Amino acid sequence: MIHIERNPWREMVNHAQAAYPNECCGAMIGSIDGENKTVVRALALDNISAGSQRARYELRPEDLLHADREAREHKLDLIGIYHSHPDCGAYFSETDLKNSCPWYSFIVLSIQSGVFDHANSWLPNAEQTHAEKEELTWPKS
Amino acid sequence: MAKILIPTPLRQFAEKQDSVELPGATVGEVLGALTAKFPDLKKHLYNDEGKLRSFVNVYLNDEDIRYLNKDATPAAPADTLSIVPSIAGGANYGG
Repeated sequence: MIHIERNPWREMVNHAQAAYPNECCGAMIGSIDGENKTVVRALALDNISAGSQRARYELRPEDLLHADREAREHKLDLIGIYHSHPDCGAYFSETDLKNSCPWYSFIVLSIQSGVFDHANSWLPNAEQTHAEKEELTWPKS
Repeated sequence: MAKILIPTPLRQFAEKQDSVELPGATVGEVLGALTAKFPDLKKHLYNDEGKLRSFVNVYLNDEDIRYLNKDATPAAPADTLSIVPSIAGGANYGG
């Protein structure tokens, strides 16, 4: 399972709402204890997808390189990627799957009419053919 | 001996090390030394045809090796290799 602490969760939701009606994307840094992951820091990154970003996002690999370095400097780990789905559900789409990487948790935030609605975490496989839902928790108040 | 940084999820296949120093005159040789030392890493980095998986990028210090000389890029002892994924996606309306 993956748990997002209060501050990074707020930053992720604020980022997703501010980017609306476009998709946003970012990295999540934290720690791993067996099957349990805890996100303590969210890094808002640029969506560099060319053309309309209403239903597309792309991360700059150099930004992930820097996120990984930052995590290492703080004795933490790069453990996930987040992005938003404006005006649709937090499913893992075919596009998400075909451009994924099996090493990380992928959190999708559904933003409906500019406001956060729900979120899911996904674990794609190496062949990019299937993503399993991962239990996701965050502070609800 | 160039240094390779191991991404967190792959450390379980590399004796839990976050980095290793390995010999090799080129990036390809250093990567070969990595998968020789930790055979379980190979399937996570390479596909069945022996090519780096589509989402795997290798950086020599701050440079993507695709824009250098790929596997033949020289690797010096002070160099650091990083394994960085390509990630994109999108809602794909109706998907």
